[in-house]
Amino acid sequence: MELRKISIRQAAETVNSGEVTAEGLIEKTLESCSILNEGLNIFTQIAGIDALEQAKAIDRKIEKGEKLPLAGVPVTVKDDLCYGVLPTGFGSPAFKEFFSPYTATAVERLMDAGAIVVGKTNLDDMSMGSTTASSPDGPTINPWDPERTAGSAGAAAVATGICMLALESDSGGALRQGASHCGVIGLRPTAGQVSRYGLNTFCSSFGQVGVTAISGENVITALEVIAGFDERDASTAVCKERAAGAGTAVDTEGLRIGYPAAAFDHLEPGLREVFEQAREQYSAAGFECIDLELPLLPEALQAYYVISLAESSSNHSRFDGIRFGAVEEAGDLEELYSKSRGSILGREARRRSIFGTHLLSQGSYDLYYRQALRVWNLVRREFAAALGQCDLLMLPAAKTLPGRAAAEADFLDAWTEDLFCAPVSLTGLPSLCLPAGQAGKFPVGLQLIGRPFSEGIMAAVCDRMIREIELFPYGIS
Amino acid sequence: MEFEVIIGLEVHVELQTESKLFCACPNRFVPEPNVNTCPVCLGFPGAFPRLNSFAVQQALTASLALNCEIALFSYFDRKNYFYPDMPKGYQLSQYYEPIGSGGHLMIEDDQGNLKKVRIGRVHMEEDAGKLVHALSGDASMVDYNRSGVPLVEIVTEPDLRSPGESRRYLEQLKRILQYARVSDCKMEEGSLRCDANISLRPVGRETFGSKTELKNMNSFKAVERSLEHEIKRQGEILRRGEEVITQTLRWEEDKQETIVMRGKLEAHDYRCFTDPELPPVELTAEEVEKALAALPEMAETRAARFISDFSLPEYDAAVLTSSRCLADYFEACLECYNNPKVVSNWVMGELSALLKNAGLEADQSSFRAEDLADLLKMIDEGLISGKIAKDVLEKSFQSGKPPRLVVEEEGLLQISDHSELEAVVGKVLAENPDSVEKYRSGATKVIGFLVGQVMKETGGKANPGLVNELLVKKIEG
Repeated sequence: MELRKISIRQAAETVNSGEVTAEGLIEKTLESCSILNEGLNIFTQIAGIDALEQAKAIDRKIEKGEKLPLAGVPVTVKDDLCYGVLPTGFGSPAFKEFFSPYTATAVERLMDAGAIVVGKTNLDDMSMGSTTASSPDGPTINPWDPERTAGSAGAAAVATGICMLALESDSGGALRQGASHCGVIGLRPTAGQVSRYGLNTFCSSFGQVGVTAISGENVITALEVIAGFDERDASTAVCKERAAGAGTAVDTEGLRIGYPAAAFDHLEPGLREVFEQAREQYSAAGFECIDLELPLLPEALQAYYVISLAESSSNHSRFDGIRFGAVEEAGDLEELYSKSRGSILGREARRRSIFGTHLLSQGSYDLYYRQALRVWNLVRREFAAALGQCDLLMLPAAKTLPGRAAAEADFLDAWTEDLFCAPVSLTGLPSLCLPAGQAGKFPVGLQLIGRPFSEGIMAAVCDRMIREIELFPYGIS
Repeated sequence: MEFEVIIGLEVHVELQTESKLFCACPNRFVPEPNVNTCPVCLGFPGAFPRLNSFAVQQALTASLALNCEIALFSYFDRKNYFYPDMPKGYQLSQYYEPIGSGGHLMIEDDQGNLKKVRIGRVHMEEDAGKLVHALSGDASMVDYNRSGVPLVEIVTEPDLRSPGESRRYLEQLKRILQYARVSDCKMEEGSLRCDANISLRPVGRETFGSKTELKNMNSFKAVERSLEHEIKRQGEILRRGEEVITQTLRWEEDKQETIVMRGKLEAHDYRCFTDPELPPVELTAEEVEKALAALPEMAETRAARFISDFSLPEYDAAVLTSSRCLADYFEACLECYNNPKVVSNWVMGELSALLKNAGLEADQSSFRAEDLADLLKMIDEGLISGKIAKDVLEKSFQSGKPPRLVVEEEGLLQISDHSELEAVVGKVLAENPDSVEKYRSGATKVIGFLVGQVMKETGGKANPGLVNELLVKKIEG
């Protein structure tokens, strides 16, 4: 059974029907994981025996007649999501052997639905970044080019076909840019749709749990399992009154797609054409493309960084060496904090903590933080107004092609990469990244942004366009 | 130079709730450390807070009992600072928008006039853990049982003018909060904590002088004494023509003096910003109305009821209602023994003395209201005399044994047996012929002396009414 050629639903069906055992499926998956990890550095941990035990348990349930929506489906989990079975590293060398006493809600729900966690995936320093370049374990290599970073290890795992599903996190765009760089489908759901309990987010306002797979159908299958109210994350209260997931089947006929042409000026040379072509393809497929403007994108990016830096300085205060990480030998408390925090947080996390601390300090708060909150509000209004004129918005996911794995990018350049993703994070709207075309040998993705809880529509458009363009699924050997 | 004293108090009160402010851990004292903890109150990564709605109710009740305006929309902010007892590296507190503001309570000023003390704000916040310093070695340990316990902080305007007023404010505050059933307000146990801001200014001047903050007072008396000490210290500085330095001082109870904790330059910049993980606290006008209507009876109302329903003197009513648990005790006793004035005398007299000596509140004693009722019944039944009853009360209070058992074990039953008493009466009369003579010549008052002699002979156990009767009968022949 080749996982890349069937849907998650079909895979679960073959396991549910007894045609394939979960154990057999996972055994093969684990083998590929190990082989591909050698070259690509996708995993911080591969589950091994634990995954096989879980698979056997699923097989036993199925023997007893149970049907599970994700029976035997291999998933990867980004290493900022707590998972009690394997160490949870958070992208810090200090947590190499940290076993979380609890498992994140989204992981728990996947497992309850029969999915098998085959490994924890690589991430940036305290998950701060959209490249994996600041990972203490080094970057994850892009399956399309060994010289380049993958953007997200989960996306790489899905692109290589070793896994059907990657559970990811996304604050400023890690999930979406990873999907864009690896040529797969990534969904950042509506804020509050998926519980973040167990996600060590550096930015509580914008951090979300999402999924990556090879089709819109697949991400929706997963979303339906993980979405819904969870009393352990107050933001999911928006789901209390509504059924979880994508809703009923949707008609994509005659949908209007907003195209903010000016936004594409920010792209690296050579990428604009991909989106112009995409616009033609969407029009040809029967969508009505509407010209509109999103002039606040640059300010939105700045607001995102001010707010997320501020929050990260506070969210990461808990890593003080008292309860987490190794306590360093120190003469007094002050020294203990600076030593411990210096070793727990990597360079990028330290940089962001220092900026964030400054931004919230007396004198800076009003100048930067309060202003950023105002911009946040304006951006929300700008996107809401835009979605008043159309059903979906089209934006790039990344400004440039994936970065070089060997080179250390200037941090401001790296932050600027989030120009198209971070503003969407401010709005809480759902965003689905799917392939738009290619630039040379590299896949280039685009974001479809919809109204709250319109994930189903976005996925349907996605699957229709993938069929229309006939570029995908990509084959990587 | 004459100075006017300006004092403002900040009082932290632990709210009585089943569970902590942001998790389901019990809000209860246990001696064993780190038992009442979970990922949330230990600040584990990815463990989001969720607000205890009953704690909000309690804070609302406290605010209403203190005559505050209620904010229908308030929220929690993060107060960022590092200390080992703060698991997240920040405290969740209503910094920008307190639930209650603009309240007041009434006290007696130093001249005995009624005075309004304005309460600037009442806000909710979470408690921190506790540092425990090991007796041997130089290690410190942290107990997080208290971490996340709900508090309200009650801040006065600078309206207090003396240590005595400050003490009376605290007594009144405690009474109100106990009556409102929001806290037990036991300062010795830490469920009420008080910091004081104090400054002096020459009489007649409008502007405030520089203030100091006093911390670490463990009783109302300590608050009073530390303020007296600080008035003296600041007065001496000002008389020398020097300036008082703005700083935080720590009261040392053993030495009855203050030491400097931190100066102005070391003051924290808490970098407060609104917590992005908790939704706002929203109340409706109806909910506030309901809470106001449900406010428990306060001391003044209860005293008035005691006067009208039980015909108690004003003095008795005031003493009995001075604390809610004493008034509860009184009323519980009346349930079993319906003689208000007798119960009042015993509660205000013997019982209060015993409680005071033992340093207990009425609800902490093992001598229950039912025990007192039973004791009083035994007097009425002629089983013991009032004098013996006082001994029984004390023995029962100390040992925890029910009064009837004490009477039995100690053989204190009153002698009401004619033949037994007649023998003693005969003996006393024979030994005191002078007194008998006096009685017969009209000085009948001497009978009291003779009764006393019989009581002495019987170790106080004789029924005094019966003795009187027998004596008269014998003398008058």
